[in-house]
Formats: sequence, structure tokens, C-alpha cells
Amino acid sequence: MVRRNRLSPWRQRQGVILLTLLTLTPIVGGCVQEPPPELLQALVALDRQLVAVQGAEFAPDEYARFVEQWVAAQQRLLTEEDVISWPWETNQLVDDLRKVHQTGLRAVSAAQHRREAAQRTTKARLADLEQRHRTFTKIVEDLGSRVLLGESPMETALLVKQARTFFTDGQFTRSKQAIQRAHRLLNSQTAVLTNSLGRYAEADHLSTWHKMVRHTVEWSRHNNAVGIVVSKADRRLTLYRNGRPVLSYPVRLGFNGLADKRYQGDGATPEGQYRVVRNRDRGHTKFYRAFLLDYPNEEDRRRFRSARRAQAIPVGSLIGGEIEIHGGDDQLLSQTLGCIMLDNWQIDRLFESVEVGTPVTIVGATESSNPVALALAALEAATDAGESQAAGGQPGSGELHQPASAATDSM
Amino acid sequence: MKRRILYFIAPALLLAVGCAKAPADKMEAAERAAADAKTAGASTYMAEDYAKVEGLLANAKKEVSEQDAKFALLRDYGKAEEMLATVQTEASRVTADTSSKKEEAKNAAVQAQKAAQASVAQAQALVAKAPVGKDRAALEAIKADAQGLTTSLAEVQKSMDAGDYPAAKANAEAIQEKSRALAAEIQTALAKVGTPKGQKAKKGKPTRS
Repeated sequence: MVRRNRLSPWRQRQGVILLTLLTLTPIVGGCVQEPPPELLQALVALDRQLVAVQGAEFAPDEYARFVEQWVAAQQRLLTEEDVISWPWETNQLVDDLRKVHQTGLRAVSAAQHRREAAQRTTKARLADLEQRHRTFTKIVEDLGSRVLLGESPMETALLVKQARTFFTDGQFTRSKQAIQRAHRLLNSQTAVLTNSLGRYAEADHLSTWHKMVRHTVEWSRHNNAVGIVVSKADRRLTLYRNGRPVLSYPVRLGFNGLADKRYQGDGATPEGQYRVVRNRDRGHTKFYRAFLLDYPNEEDRRRFRSARRAQAIPVGSLIGGEIEIHGGDDQLLSQTLGCIMLDNWQIDRLFESVEVGTPVTIVGATESSNPVALALAALEAATDAGESQAAGGQPGSGELHQPASAATDSM
Repeated sequence: MKRRILYFIAPALLLAVGCAKAPADKMEAAERAAADAKTAGASTYMAEDYAKVEGLLANAKKEVSEQDAKFALLRDYGKAEEMLATVQTEASRVTADTSSKKEEAKNAAVQAQKAAQASVAQAQALVAKAPVGKDRAALEAIKADAQGLTTSLAEVQKSMDAGDYPAAKANAEAIQEKSRALAAEIQTALAKVGTPKGQKAKKGKPTRS
């Protein structure tokens, strides 16, 4: 008898189970589908890129969408890492990660695009502002009216500097805010200048000044004598003899010379029809040689009383006096406290002709296209562009056009 | 009789055991943590990280809403709780990092402020020495500029008090630069009227008005 070595049924079942497990293990093991590492790396890189391009600032909606999807996906990566799926099943997580990647790419593109646009716009606005500021400063310097503006020019200069710093640091929004504030300050300074000097462009004033000059010239012709006309806008003194201009010199005025004198210490040079009341030769004046004028005259006194009543001048102000046409040996002194200053050789020439009683007419301007009117027009034009930018509009040329110099050579 | 009782007890037990509660306290804590991060200045100093906190919070809220919408017996707020815990952890990290960054910005601003104060003080001291012979208008302008710089120092302090350190720093640096320029201008003027070859400097006298 052949004895057959047969396995027990229990052993047989064990074998079948073991065989089945051994067969299925590699299949089941292969079904734990992990997202491709390169996809995850790309998402991490996108995340970093979005930080670099300031996604939260320049593409807030797109960035928020990406962040929401990305954090959700990261959450799933943690919770679903051990999920086993059949080989024929698609991996939803991988599909979703690809969608997140697409969202991220769109966010990067939007942020980059908008950041570049913001950079371009800010750059242009900053260049406009810097140009406007430079020209404004130059015009104010040429007008000699810096004193009217107080602390505002420094405040503006600081804002311009800050706008540049913010731009360099990539903080375009802050830069634009500083630009807008600087434009507003320039606009308000222009308004101050226009308010103070606007009469240089007003027909009524120009007509009055023109009549005053004509009167002096006619007087000179009629009396065969000399008369002096000073145009403050042109910063020029002209000596008329027998109604004809015979000498013309550039002059230096008060430190607030373009303004009409209202009280002592305002730095303004008076406007009106005056006469020389005294010739002060060497030793009788601090300024080489001088002609003392009859300021304040009756008209000046009337205006002073009126201004005091209207409280338009500081309380306790005096009307001032001692207004002269004088020389001076201090070359550093390019402004006076209100007098009219010439070089010494020029005052010497005037001393040859000017006598006590010589009429001296001081006017703002003699022509409608005077330097002050032209400068104000240029500032006004820049204000229009500046107002648009102060309101956050598009940058324009922003360039101011310097008025042509009205200076002429001495006659 | 026993069967009847079971009819009542069984559903009651199921309800008691099966109905999960929305994690209101955890939600509140997460929202508070996110708000704290914002208050700390995260939206300014760590905008992107703060956006992520907001994203995490939005996802957690979404998960809670999804569970809320399910039939009561099937609700499971476990995942939502985990998400809210993550929001809290992340928000706390962002708050801490923001504080650190803010402190750095503050230190930089304080340094710039001190430097600006010193420069303005130096310029103010020079203004007192500005040559008498210099143009009155220029002198008035210099005085106005020096005053403008002093006034602007108050603006720096205002930005510091408001916690806007980047603005404070930028302003302080601008003030420092302008103060130096002003000081240089006065020094140049002083040099021009300086005593040449041991002679006494001639002082310009302003005219009267």
C-alpha cells in the first residue's frame, strides 16, 4: 500500500490564503498612489514665487483662491497619504493638485502683470512729480517768492524723497500715496502764489500800472527832466530823460519784493508814485549812496489804515519807512528788506542825474506777458496736471515750461 | 412592555451617541487667533502668510458648513477640528513672526529717527550761525526749511506711535538727508564770508523798510 501524504483541509486553506495574499500584496501595495514629487515641488515653488511677486497685494483674489486650494490640498496630503485605491481608479488628489497648480500659475501671472503695471505707472508718476518739483522750485527761486511758502517747500521735498525711497523698495502703493500728497502740496503752494501774485496777470492792475508809468514818462517829457520807473516783475530800473529811456539797470528788491508793501518787516517793496526826498551821499547812508523816497505817502497811509481796520496785517504792525534806492558793497546781499538795490557804479551814474523831487514810479509790471504772469501761468498749467495725479489719475507730461527770461542788457 | 420601551430608548440613544456638535469653541479660538495676527500687523508685515491663515480658516469654515449640511447622524467634525487647530497654530506662528519682523522694523525706524534728530539739531545749530550778509530771503528760506525739518520730526513720531515703522523710517531718512543738505548750504555760506587772511569778516547789513 502506498501511503499518500495528504494535507489536512485546514492546512490547504492556509496555503490558499497565503498564496492569495502573496499575489495581492504587490498589487495592493502599488495602489497607494502618491502625488508626483515634481508636482509638489512645483507647487511649493509657485507658493514662494507668489510671495516674491507680492501676490497678496497685487492679485489678492487670485492669491486667496490659490491659498485656499493649496492649504486644502496640503490638508488632504496629510490625511489621504495611506488611502489605497485600485489601479483602475484615478487619483483625485493628484488631479486636484494639478488644478491648484493651474490656479497658482494664473495667480503668479496676474500678480506679475499687475506688479509690473504698478511699477511702470509709479515710475512715470514719480518722474512727473520730480520734474514738476524741480521746475516749481526753480520758478519760485526765480520769482524770489520762497518766503511766501513757509515750511511747505521742505515738506514737499521730504515727500518727493519718500516717494522715491518707497519706489526703490518696491512699495508702489506707498510711493503713489506720497506722490499724491506731494502734488497736493505743490497745488496748494501754487494757490498761495497765485493769491499773492495773481495781480501781475490781472488786466485792471496792469492797466493801472501802465497809466502810472505813462504819467511819469509824460512828466519827464513835459518837464525836460528825469524820471525813474521800476518794474518789479522785470526787476529793472529805467531812467527816463525828456520822456526817453536813457539808462536801465537790473535791481534787487525786498526779500518778499514782488508783494506790495503793507507793513514794516514784510520784506515787500512798495508800489506807487513817489519822489526822491533826499540824496544821501557817502557817509550819510549805510549803503554807499542812496536816494530816499517819500514812502509812506498819503495813499500808502490810507491803505495801511484800511488793512489795520480789516485786521489784514499783524496786530501792532507799523507802516515802515526809509525806503531807498541804494548801492551796497555786499555782493552776498541779493535781497533787501524792501528797498531797491543797485551796484555802486550804477548808483554813481544815477547820482549824475537824479535830484530831490525826481519822480520814482514803482509798479508790479509794465507788460501783460511779464515774467511773474508767465511763471504763474506755467504753475497753473502744472496744477491742472497735478490735480489729476493728486486724485490718482494717469501720469501726464507734468513738465513745467519755464517762462522766457525778460532780462535785457543795461542801456 | 420591554419591547415598547426599546422603541423609545433606541432612537434616543442613537441621537445621543451619533449627533456630533459643531466645534464652536474651536472656531471661535481660530477666528480669534487670525484676528490677533491681523492686529499684530501680519497683513502688512507678512501679507502672504496672513493670506494663508485666512485661507486655512476659510477651508475650515467650509468643512464645518459641509458637515452642518449633512444629516445629523452622519456629521463628523473631526476633520474640521483638525483644520481649526492648524489655523490656530499657523496664526500663532504668523503673529509671533510678525512681532519679530515688526520689532526689526521698529529698531530700524528708531535708528533712523535718532539719526534724523541729530542731523536736524546740527542744522538748527548752524542756522543760528548763518551769515548775516547772506540774502535775507535765503536766510528766511533756510529758517523755514529748518523749521520744516523740525516739524517733520513730529510726523516721524506720529508714524512710530501708529506702528507704521516703514513710513517712519522713510520719513526719517529723508529728513536726515535734507538736514545734511541744509547744513552743507549754511557751511558753504559761512565759508564764503569767512575771514580771509586773518582779516575780520565784513558783515552785510540789511536795509531798512
